Parts: sequence; C-alpha cells; structure tokens
Amino acid sequence: MNGPIEFLDLMERAEQQRQARRRFIRLCGGAAAMTGGLALLSGCGDDNDDGSPTPSPSPTPSGAITDVAVLNFALQLEYLEGAYYAYAVSGSGVDGALLSGMGTQGAVVTGSGAGAARAVDFSDDVVAEYAREIAADEIGHIRFLRETLGSARVAQPAINISGSASVDVAGTTTVGAFTAAARAAGVIGAGDIFDPYASDENFLIGAYLLTDVGVSAYRGAAKLLTNKTYLEASAGILAAECYHDATIRAELWRRGLTVPSVYTRVSQISALRDSLDGAGDTDQDIGNAATANLVPTDSDGLVLGRSAAQVLNVVFQNGAAVTGGGFFPTGLNGTILTSGAGG
Amino acid sequence: MVAGSGWIEARARRRDERRAFFRNAATAAVVGAGGLLLSREASAQTAPSDVDILNFALNLEYLEAQFYSYAVSGVGLAADQLTGTQTQGSVSGARRATLSDPAVIQYAREIAADEVAHVAVLRRVLGSAAVAQPAIDLSTTVFTAAAKAADIDLDASGGVFDPYASDDNFLLAAYLFEDVGVTAYKGAAPLLSDVAIVDAAAGLLAAEAFHAGLIRSALYRRGVDVDDLREKADKISDARDDLDGDDDSDGPPRRVGDDDQGVSPVTSIYGRAANVVPTDGRGLVFGRTVEQVHNIAYLTKQQVSAGGFFPAGTNNANAALRRSGAN
Repeated sequence: MNGPIEFLDLMERAEQQRQARRRFIRLCGGAAAMTGGLALLSGCGDDNDDGSPTPSPSPTPSGAITDVAVLNFALQLEYLEGAYYAYAVSGSGVDGALLSGMGTQGAVVTGSGAGAARAVDFSDDVVAEYAREIAADEIGHIRFLRETLGSARVAQPAINISGSASVDVAGTTTVGAFTAAARAAGVIGAGDIFDPYASDENFLIGAYLLTDVGVSAYRGAAKLLTNKTYLEASAGILAAECYHDATIRAELWRRGLTVPSVYTRVSQISALRDSLDGAGDTDQDIGNAATANLVPTDSDGLVLGRSAAQVLNVVFQNGAAVTGGGFFPTGLNGTILTSGAGG
Repeated sequence: MVAGSGWIEARARRRDERRAFFRNAATAAVVGAGGLLLSREASAQTAPSDVDILNFALNLEYLEAQFYSYAVSGVGLAADQLTGTQTQGSVSGARRATLSDPAVIQYAREIAADEVAHVAVLRRVLGSAAVAQPAIDLSTTVFTAAAKAADIDLDASGGVFDPYASDDNFLLAAYLFEDVGVTAYKGAAPLLSDVAIVDAAAGLLAAEAFHAGLIRSALYRRGVDVDDLREKADKISDARDDLDGDDDSDGPPRRVGDDDQGVSPVTSIYGRAANVVPTDGRGLVFGRTVEQVHNIAYLTKQQVSAGGFFPAGTNNANAALRRSGAN
C-alpha cells in the first residue's frame, strides 16, 4: 500500500494539469489572434479555477492582461520608435501600409520650422550606420508584431516626434514632445527648444529618451505573456532593444569624454523619467568619465523593468493617471491605456 | 528583484520533507513504492525543469564571470561562489588583460561586475540545488583553438591567440562569449515555467544583450581604424554558425540554421548600416538550444559532454543539459 506518496503525487499532478489547462486556454486566445479569427475564441470558452464551464466567450477576461493586449501595447511603442528613427535616417516616416488597424489611426506630428522631424545630417558615419540599423530593426518589429497579431493589431495612434515650439494636434496647439520632455528635464530652458534632428549628439539624446523606455517595457512585459511562442519572440525583441540601447548609451558616454555636458543632460533625462513613473529605481543614467554605467541594472545585475502603467507615465510625460500626452498626444489604441498614479 | 534566498530550493525541500515524513510514518508502505518512485523520477529527466535551466545558465555565468573578472582584476570569483552539487573544478589559464582604451576598460569593469552578480543571484535562487563551478579552461590554448577554428590568421602573433594581450583581442574573446549568452537565454525563455523565474531570466537576458551590444559596437567603432578587426569578428560568427549546425525548427525554442552574424556593415532598407544587432530579418535576436550552446562552449560539432572551455563538461543533474548536439 503506497497511498500517502501516491496521493501527494496525484495532488501535484492535478495542480500541474490545472495549470496546463489554463495555459492551453490562454494559448487559445493567442492562436485566435494570430489567425485573426475571433470566432475561434468562442471555442475556447472561459476558464475558472473551479473548472465550471462558462457559456459566454471572453476575449478579454476582466482583471487579466491578455497576450494580445501586451503585444498591441508593444506595437505602439514600436510605432513611436519606428517613426523617430525612420525620420532621422530618411526624412520620412514608416510605410503607410504598416500603420492601419483597430482603433483610431493618427498622424505623425512632425512640426514645422526649427525642431521639425526630418533627416539628420549626420557628421559621424558610424552614428549614421547605427541609426540606419536601428531604424530597420524597429520596422522589422512593427512588421513582426502586426503579422503576429493579424486582424487584432491596432492602428498607429497620433504620435508627436517634433522638437518644434508649437505643433498642431487635431486642432489643438501643443509643444513638440521632445522639446516638452527636454524642458521638463531641465536639459534646456523653459523658452528653448530641443531639436533631436539637429546634430549627432541631439539625435543620440533623442534616442536615449525613447530606447530605454522600450527596453524597460519589454523587460517588464515578459512575465505577463502566457503563450510561450510569444514569450520567446518578445525575448528576441527585448534583446534587440537592449543591443540598441547599449549602442546609444555607449556612444553618449564616449562623447561625454570630450563634451562633459552630455553626462549632465542624460542624467537629467533619467531623473525625470524616474520621477514620472513613481517610487522605485527604474532608470539609471550613463555615469560619468570616471565610471561608466552603460547597463541599467539592479544589484543582482538584472536590467530594470517598468510596468505598462509606468511606461505610459514616461511616454505621456505625466506622473498622474492620464490617457494621453507627450509622445502620444491623443493616447493609445487597444486596452492598456492609462498611466500610473504614483508619479 | 528576484524572490528571496533559495526559494526554489525551499519548494523542493518541502516536497522532499513531506515525502520523508510519509516514508518514516509508513515505512512498510513505502518499500513497495520504491521502484515506482525511481522510475518516475528517471523519466521526468527528459523535460528540463526550471532548476535544470537555471543551472545551465549558471554554468555559462561562471564562465563569463571568471573571464571578465580575471581580465579586469587578475582575480577570479570568490571561493564561496563556486561550491555546489556535482564536481567542482578550478579555472586555468586566465589572467589580467592589458587594456588601454578607456572605453574598453569601462566596459570590461561593468560587465565583470554584472556577471559576478549574475552568478550570485542564480546561486541565491537555486540555493542548495545550485551546481558547483565545473572546471573552466580560459587559457590561450583554448582561445587559440577557437581562433583557428574561425580561420583567423595568427601569423603575426606566432600562431597564438592571446585574449589578454590587447584591447582588440580582449574584445574578440568577449565577442565569442557574449552573443552565446544572449542566444542561450533567448532559447531558454520558452522552456521556463515559473513566472518569477521568467521575469528574472528576462532581466538576465537583457543584461547579456546590453553586454553584447557594448562589445559589438566597440568592435564596430574600433574597426574603422583597425584593419581586419570587423572581419575577425565576422569569422568568429561564421565559426559559431558552423559549430551549432544548420537545422531549422519552429520551436519554441525557435531554431534557425543561419543563426549568427558578424559586425561588418550591411545594406539595409536605408542603405549602409552597422550590424551591431544579430537578427533574423524580423528584427528578432536569435536563440540557441541548450545543445547548440554546448557545441560552441565545447568547440565541437559532435555530440559530446565535455571540451573546449569546459574540459570536464558543464554540471547539471539533467544529463541532457550537459551535452552538445550532433551537427
């Protein structure tokens, strides 16, 4: 008679099976999104801990962040990065065929005159070659996420990538998002503009504003994804964003050796982001000439992450719970919409 | 932050204690169950557990931490960071590198600190389930074998590749390791079950990708002035690509035959671009299976359980996670 151990093993197996079943159900939602067939979802049904069947299909179970929601959130950050790098290397935005989808499609706000989004006249060939590589990767990410999401993909919302003092967003006058961020950080005076397209150095600082956010977003999203295929793909994008960020941070650090103000400006931007997204260390500058800090990590050597709400605090440039502003003047599409209240 | 000290270990221990309790409480009953129990545990080894995967990662972190730690300071990991299950080995052939570029010195210091922290955090999470550091060979002999496998011309250095001799050699040696660490974590990501472990592994993956980005961009930039530096990196990538085979699999983990890229400029949709990020055309960084990672660490296309940088093999309770693939 081997009852006790058999019983305990059975208990463990039952728990594993329950978890496996829940994973399968989540995968069902993912598969439906991949093929774009929402009808498939009805076959998946809902899953409760007690296992009781639920008749109505539930594509977005309350309280749970679905894989589709996470990937659509990521897609919109890629729209932002793609727009910035595409303009910087080519003077025009991402192919219009890659911008459609669910929700409200918005335009890229480039501004006009000083600070307008345009091709950077790079003086350092290496920086130009880095920029072109990153631009191509970001467009690859947009394509990949759109293909993965199928008809569940969201459209590009309005995106403000201007450094101009005054831009028009859907009939409302506001400030170019790069200038607004630079003013808030104290990188420039309240009446000055920050033009990320004006020089190699400004381009790198503009990239620094965006790239760290992408890293921390994918880093924070890993634990939310339940479909292992999506998780692995997201890990591949996270890694790419980290290579980009390392390149940008290393270039800024190298420039700081001859232009020490770079260290100050980068530090001000990191401090701003860290203050916007609430308590806790989610951001680190690049250090100084004596001691570089090119990898933003905690004491375990793990790269820092942000929750989706914290990412929205940064890109909306707002420490409160809001649904738009900054780089996304009219907010996001999809279901992850509101920044955190902790800033 | 990762969950506190040894919580995986604690979970396993609770189960063991529970089993031990029942064994003691019902000895007669358990005797009959012994055979069944053994066969069940043996069959469970085919699917790697989170502990197996983290121990696989720990072997790689031992290797990287020792390389960078010796290169920047001439000293390796502290003795209390090396203990664990299975056979503990020593490090041979490593020493302080002769570095002069201020940027390279900074990169080396920062990466060394991160890798030492990675060893510590993995050991903390694994607790008593952590494997010991296996024997690690960081001598010029092994690096020279790797350089020769990559068909790098060593005539100017007497047929020897010394990773500790210069900034450029150090970067090339680091290059050999860094993308492997990234691809290992990327390939392992879909094999992990526990959400807290997935989260921590994402943080580790990200750190390795930053390191790889630093090393690759340094080679790219120095390559403007140093003849053949980029081409040497390209050759190392080709060698890795050759060692790890050319099978394709959708996964997860996804496996593609052409899974490595050098740093030399490529023509992108926007014209001449750097190749700091090795990606699959969708902007996704590559992954490798555990076996493929061992092919590179062991410097062989054969299915073996030791060689190259790990002369006695890596340590792992799951034998499938100690061997390279037959390519």
